Amino acid sequence: MLNLYLFQILNGLGLGMIYFLIAVGLTIIFGLLNFVNFAHGAFFMLGAYLCYTLLQLTGAYWVALIAGPLIVAGFAWMVEKVLIRHCYHLPHTFHILITVGIALILQEGSILVWGPIGKSVPIPDMLQGVITFGKFAYPKYRLFLIMFSAVVGFVLWVLLERTRFGALVRAGSENPEMVSLLGADIYRLFSLTFALGVGLAGLAGVLSAPLRGAHPFMGPEVLGLAFVVVVIGGMGSFTGALVGGLIIGLVQSLMSTIWPQGASLMIYAAMAAVIFLRPYGLFGRA
Amino acid sequence: MSGDMLLETSDLMLAYGGFHAVDGVDLCVRAGTIHSVIGPNGAGKTSLFHCLTGGRKPTSGRILFDGRDITAEPPQGRVGLGMARSFQVTSLFQNLSVFENLRLAAQGRDGDRSLVFWRSVTSGKAHREQAEQVMERLGLAARARHAAGDLSHGQQRVLEVGMALCAKPKLLLLDEPTSGMGIDDIPVMTGLIAELGRDHTIMLIEHNMGIVMSISDRVTVMSRGRILVEGTPEMVRADERVRSAYLGEAA
Amino acid sequence: MRDSMVFDRMTLAVAVILAALPVLLPSASLAGEILIFAMAALACNLLLGYGGLLSFGQGLFFGVGSYLSALAMIHGGAGLLSALLIAMAAGAAVATLVGAMSIRRTGIYFVMLTLAFSQMGYFLAYTLSDWTGGDNGLLDVPRPDLTLFGVTLVPLGNPYAFYTFIAVLFFIVFVGAKRLIGSPFGSTLVAIRENENRALAVGYDTRHFKLLAFTLSGMVTALAGALYGMLINFVPLSNIELSMSDNIVIMTIIGGTGSLLGPLLGAGAMVILGEVLSDIWPRWMLLLGVGLILIVMFLRGGLWGGVEALAARFGLQRAAKEERP
Repeated sequence: MLNLYLFQILNGLGLGMIYFLIAVGLTIIFGLLNFVNFAHGAFFMLGAYLCYTLLQLTGAYWVALIAGPLIVAGFAWMVEKVLIRHCYHLPHTFHILITVGIALILQEGSILVWGPIGKSVPIPDMLQGVITFGKFAYPKYRLFLIMFSAVVGFVLWVLLERTRFGALVRAGSENPEMVSLLGADIYRLFSLTFALGVGLAGLAGVLSAPLRGAHPFMGPEVLGLAFVVVVIGGMGSFTGALVGGLIIGLVQSLMSTIWPQGASLMIYAAMAAVIFLRPYGLFGRA
Repeated sequence: MSGDMLLETSDLMLAYGGFHAVDGVDLCVRAGTIHSVIGPNGAGKTSLFHCLTGGRKPTSGRILFDGRDITAEPPQGRVGLGMARSFQVTSLFQNLSVFENLRLAAQGRDGDRSLVFWRSVTSGKAHREQAEQVMERLGLAARARHAAGDLSHGQQRVLEVGMALCAKPKLLLLDEPTSGMGIDDIPVMTGLIAELGRDHTIMLIEHNMGIVMSISDRVTVMSRGRILVEGTPEMVRADERVRSAYLGEAA
Repeated sequence: MRDSMVFDRMTLAVAVILAALPVLLPSASLAGEILIFAMAALACNLLLGYGGLLSFGQGLFFGVGSYLSALAMIHGGAGLLSALLIAMAAGAAVATLVGAMSIRRTGIYFVMLTLAFSQMGYFLAYTLSDWTGGDNGLLDVPRPDLTLFGVTLVPLGNPYAFYTFIAVLFFIVFVGAKRLIGSPFGSTLVAIRENENRALAVGYDTRHFKLLAFTLSGMVTALAGALYGMLINFVPLSNIELSMSDNIVIMTIIGGTGSLLGPLLGAGAMVILGEVLSDIWPRWMLLLGVGLILIVMFLRGGLWGGVEALAARFGLQRAAKEERP
């Protein structure tokens, strides 16, 4: 019995780390750019599909793991330069509208390229099978997912807290004008930040592909949850995205066998509750 | 009309943690007077104003308006009771016409009675006439159909006062009405306020000493959250403490 | 604000469009569908264009209207008008509840709250599958005849007859909306959108106004939902899904939030393009995506904004000015 709980909890952690990666990207984008990215889920989907294709082409998962997110980030960089950049000064309504447009293009585009049914992605050879701790067995890939995400999270934290780039991002989210006065090319910073945020979503897609496959309508489902995590954790907060992601992942996993829709109900109710009681979320600030 | 206390505060306190922005203020504004509140930066004038307009809830103390305790009254309720205010940083309906700005201000006195959604606005003749009268009084009738945002800064400041006027208030609370105004426009505002003072009670926060001294009936000087001196303009001008408060205090 | 006369050229234009639609389009059902969504978009625009409130909860009200009217007819034997009234009452009630909670926050948090409530409604509808049919939806939704005190006035089985019924309702809603915009309430809503602090300072309790806007919006959206159920004799789960809220908002913005005619244009465009294009190319939504991007980049006033710009170009200045407040 304990094994079953442990299994669900670890699954929840894994799911939570995926949500963390998606949400932290979203929160960075909102934190610095004050931009509401409704295409975030679609980029997650793109990552999943790229994992499939890259794996097909090269047979090497590590290629997909590195190239996939980079391709997504590169694509996001271009989108930012051409489209997003012109919208920062517009009210949030238009951010939502233009990114919904981008999401639709990505969604329909993916059907054109990969077909409407979706693809399943095999677990990489090296990570197949289970790892045993005494009487408890857990899939190797899932364990890898948790650990790899944690490493990425750590690297991201170092990037944000200990590098010049990170300092600019954090400062810029408080006061963009000041940052440009300090000599930083603010537009470059915006592009990099957007690319980074979206790249993280792409990475999440690549990581989740062997477990969930890739299908065209993954985007909206994941987007809703990403916003819940960001709101509960606090807009613009790294810790918030982590804690929020883990909580959501655990709730979903633990309730998946009992009452899956109930999990969603609880999650959205929790989001509403947080907005009432602590609008800046658990870790956010004004 | 003069004689009675229209607005009174009783040991009014507004504290932000340990810092007392307003530290036990007993203010009395007599009906029919023009009463100015002055003081160096950080004296607590703005915080006092926030309490009087309902922008902030006082930590302790009471505010009495026309004999009625309005300490906890939210800002939108105070208009119905006869208090109207203007903003220091111009806050108009920039994209709406001058006429519509004033009409909305006149309609505001109705409060929740404006929730009527089945009758046309044209049936509110009283509001439209009020708006037209005020426009005349402000000298803005020629700009009636222009967007408020298209007016010059000086005209916008005058419109700010006009918005308060439309509510037909007993008390006008004006927050630095001449803020940012050019040297040519200030006399217009001074004249307007003096003229309004004839049939309204006015409480004024101001930095411009010229106006304060020339049109006020009474002046309250604040410093560090408290009332330092209060009296006629002459009394205040001569008082040593006032001079040192302005010169001696760090801004 | 200019007196926007209720029965002016715009109202005439709408009447003409309503009469022409079933003739120009291949089916009366398609025409009816346009009007239903135009009604929902109109209700959305009350909140968005006039109140400045972006609500992702419209799908919730649409779904509530669909489900409750259908259930009232199927299980309660309700007639046409009763079912519609029940839908409207339910829509108003739910919207008031959602509105009361959502307006406690502003900006993106407000939007997120409406989204959260919308999602909760969806998952609730999914769970209560005994009532809602869950994933399968409610089948065999009747379309009762229009009766008054037991006397059948108009049988609505014929698609053209039902279209006429929908058109009459739409016209009433449109005229009502025009009246509303020109009322003290409407002018105050615009003021709140322009500068909420100022509105408060001038004496309006802005919460009350926002709440009434929600109530009215929910009521009309639910009416649209109820009519939709009767039109297609089916209430799919997607009526209450987030995608419905998305679509309604998209239609509203595409049509143009600056006027009451915008929603009709937006709904018309989306529904017609969807019908026409989906046969030619199943991936037509890609073009919709492109269209949305173009609107944000170049035509923020939506289709109506485009119409106004063209009218101004060709010297029809008065047509353009008529809609300025």
